[in-house]
Amino acid sequence: MTAAGATLSSGQLRAERWRLRLQGWRSFWRRYRRKRAGVLGLAVLIVFGTMALFPSLLAGPFQDVTAGTSDSLVGPSATHLLGTDELGRDILNLTVYGARTSLTIGLVATFMTIFLGAVVGIAAGYIGGAVDTVLMRITDFFLILPTFVLALILAPIVLDSIKGTPLASGDFFGVSVQLVVIILIIAITSWASTARILRAQTLSLKERAFVDRARVIGSSSTHIMWRHILPNCLALIVANAVLTVTISILTESTLSFVGLGDPSQPSWGQLLESAQAVGAPGLGAWWYTFAPGVSIVLVMLAFTLVGNALDEILNPKLSVRG
Amino acid sequence: MTIAGRRQWPLPKQADPNAPLLVVEDLRTYFKLGKDTVKAVDGVTFTLRDGEALGLAGESGCGKTTTALSLVRLLPSNASIVSGSVKLFGIDLVTKSERALRRYRWREISIVFQGAMNALNPVRRIGEQIAEPLEVRLDQPRATALKRAGELLELVGIPRKRARAYPHELSGGMRQRAMIAMALACDPAVVIGDEPTTALDVMVQAQILELLERLRRELGLSLILITHDLSVIAETCDRVLIMYAGKVAEEGPVDIVFRRPRHPYTRKLLGAFPNIHADRRDLEVIPGSPPDLRDPPPGCRFHPRCPAVMDVCRTEVPPEVAFSDGVRVACHLFPPGEAGGVAVTSADVARADRPSA
Amino acid sequence: MSGRYLARKLVQAAITIALIVAVNFFLFRAMPGGPERAIGHNPNVSAASIAALRERWGLDKPLFPDQFLDYVNASLHGDFGYSIKYQGQPVSDVIAQQIWPTVLLVGLGTILSVILGLTLGSAAGWRRGRWPDYLGTAVSQALYAMPSFWLGMILLVIFATGLGWFPSFGMSTAGAVYGSWVDNVIDVGSHLVLPLATFTLGYMGEYSLIMRSSLIETLGEDYIMTARAKGLEGGRILREHALPNAMLPTVTIIALNVGYIVAGALTIEYVFSWPGLGTMTVDALGARDYPILQALFLLLSVCVVLANLLADIVYGFLDPRVKV
Repeated sequence: MTAAGATLSSGQLRAERWRLRLQGWRSFWRRYRRKRAGVLGLAVLIVFGTMALFPSLLAGPFQDVTAGTSDSLVGPSATHLLGTDELGRDILNLTVYGARTSLTIGLVATFMTIFLGAVVGIAAGYIGGAVDTVLMRITDFFLILPTFVLALILAPIVLDSIKGTPLASGDFFGVSVQLVVIILIIAITSWASTARILRAQTLSLKERAFVDRARVIGSSSTHIMWRHILPNCLALIVANAVLTVTISILTESTLSFVGLGDPSQPSWGQLLESAQAVGAPGLGAWWYTFAPGVSIVLVMLAFTLVGNALDEILNPKLSVRG
Repeated sequence: MTIAGRRQWPLPKQADPNAPLLVVEDLRTYFKLGKDTVKAVDGVTFTLRDGEALGLAGESGCGKTTTALSLVRLLPSNASIVSGSVKLFGIDLVTKSERALRRYRWREISIVFQGAMNALNPVRRIGEQIAEPLEVRLDQPRATALKRAGELLELVGIPRKRARAYPHELSGGMRQRAMIAMALACDPAVVIGDEPTTALDVMVQAQILELLERLRRELGLSLILITHDLSVIAETCDRVLIMYAGKVAEEGPVDIVFRRPRHPYTRKLLGAFPNIHADRRDLEVIPGSPPDLRDPPPGCRFHPRCPAVMDVCRTEVPPEVAFSDGVRVACHLFPPGEAGGVAVTSADVARADRPSA
Repeated sequence: MSGRYLARKLVQAAITIALIVAVNFFLFRAMPGGPERAIGHNPNVSAASIAALRERWGLDKPLFPDQFLDYVNASLHGDFGYSIKYQGQPVSDVIAQQIWPTVLLVGLGTILSVILGLTLGSAAGWRRGRWPDYLGTAVSQALYAMPSFWLGMILLVIFATGLGWFPSFGMSTAGAVYGSWVDNVIDVGSHLVLPLATFTLGYMGEYSLIMRSSLIETLGEDYIMTARAKGLEGGRILREHALPNAMLPTVTIIALNVGYIVAGALTIEYVFSWPGLGTMTVDALGARDYPILQALFLLLSVCVVLANLLADIVYGFLDPRVKV
């Protein structure tokens, strides 16, 4: 509102809204900056993110990576900082490219998990009634099912089902079908807890005044859910998402480790599987397992630290006794 | 009958039987919040005599709970008593180490917390919880302690067979009674009630107050009752201490303070309370809100909200002045020398209530 | 804990198992091409053989209810078909051979990791903000972030290959002749150390973090203030008031995570070539030995459901508020 009380044009309103948003983000960053652990985590993530987006900074082009050029299973040396694998490929290169695969899978799977969980949770919480009951029964079932075991079973079945069909050799935006299957399976087995959490949040938001006001002026349910409920769940969603990423990355690594990954697009878990298949630990070829494993640990720790910092800022708990 | 006379367990070895029961002199408790210091209790002095009931009144955040918790140093890690003394039977508790102080907790000063909903351990039976201080602090065998717990429950009006119940199986009022029974277990010298009736509905409130009154009479209890509800103090207490922003505003016998309040804050407080017997009139509201204790206003802390504020109030801290009717006030409207008021220091107050030896 | 609570939990578990059996069945049989597709990849198998297999497995009958009921009936009798990889041996035999090493590893490992994890978590939570807490939490978080199989590989490299203290694979030395059963125990024991250490360390971290945060939350409750006011000393407050309450959400959250224990056990066995169900699963996955996979899925799922049931029962004993 201007001082004179004149109304603003829609363009001015939009500009004003962006200005306020920018202010909000700046003050958020100022608070985040103070949390040293969170900043450390963020830094680590930026390093790995750069590795994933611009692998050529640290490694050669992809073809070089997958073609063995040197002797097999040689320890770290001047030419190969992290040693070579059994095919003579440079492990540093493999790890850098592995970042792209692992992080992509982790993030995309998380996005789908959150999306699915949010849709089910918010719809169940807001619409209520029979819809809620049905959705919650389904959610509970997925919660009780041992999800990793389910993933373990679904993967070979789905992969075998599409084998021999034209789908099998294609890819989606450079991600092979095998990995897409893994992403989908992770999402299918992980969405339930997000749905639970968001349903609880929606139920409490539903009682608040602004929802009633929106209903009174005739907003549709979809509009209310999208414009009013969802934005107020964002803090919870973000905190939950960061936690989900760590689980997704771990699940993908484990699934790849037991042989369900794609050797042609190696993720870190896949690299560890190759190491195990070749018997690297028994042969003392520690470098083979070191780089991919440490990467997983660092990325998971980084997400955990960032998640804790975000949780502290977005969901503050009163710490001083009244 | 004094506590020394009626009680089962011996007094602390260092106790001076001739000293007044409790003397708090110039107590200051500060909290550290980041870089700031919150002066929650800033120079509070009062005495409690054997068998007396003192009400601590004031708005939320005025420091009454912190004052009471400071007596047994039940403070969070960022708080500490920076100066002053708390003398129980003449023994200064402030100078005691944590280990030495523990001896006084519950055995001499016990607390009935508000909202006994959560103040009782949900996974232990209430009989065991009442018996716990007897077993652990007084080295009583289990069977004896449980028997005594049963007696205490009967004393507060709970059938003794309910000792095997868990807290969630009792109503709010019964839980509060159980808390009272627990507080009486070791026959303490002082019982502090921290808003003991706040979370209860009016009917139950009345029952609890009746119970406290009966116990006072029968056992000669000395009570410190903390509450923001002046009607509770009017019913149960002998004297009242009105606190504002960490300092004492007014103190004295209940009937005098409530009928002829001197401090403007006390007047406002009383005006803010509906009186069912008086004529209908508008409820007075105290404008503004309590000050931020990290940076309290200079001079008299009430001056920004005071209807009778004068220039001197903004710069000078008002001295405490005592009157012959037993009231003590800290307000520039009552300077020393006028109307029979005598300036008193905290030491004076501490000494004044000592019976002549 | 009332009888009704117990009954309700048992019924829930039974329903879940029934659903799992159904899912298990339809998942495998409803797969496009049917289970014989896996065999069909083998070029040595003639079309006539495939047709015979179909009939033998009853695949020419309608899926539901005939095939399903046959399956349930067979399962209840312990007949899970025949393994592809293990040259036609009955699946139940194959599993029975390899189940005890897993029970040993997972059983001991769970007990150790729970005890150590809860102890570490309590110690850290009780001394919050001081250095034992920072140290304990840092260690726990690091362990939690490590994929358990990677930890296993690292321990293998260091202690088996590198230092040579322990053997690097298997459950006992191949071809060993034992003087007495004590020698046998020692041999198995030395093989057990590394996988057990991996399992324990891998899960300790998570339990520790859960316990710590649960304890910290409990310590903020009013009844802890009451306990302090009673003049009780720290140890008693922790034992009598804090821990009994902090255990409640801990048990619940640990129960929710039982599924991940399965994941870890599987991969740890594989890393150390421990001859249990884990290694068997990985091998079966590679060979697409569906009868075994199907039986394993059922077994693992039932184990998880039973573990959850156990956790519910334990919770019922710990929390008197649990009623009807």
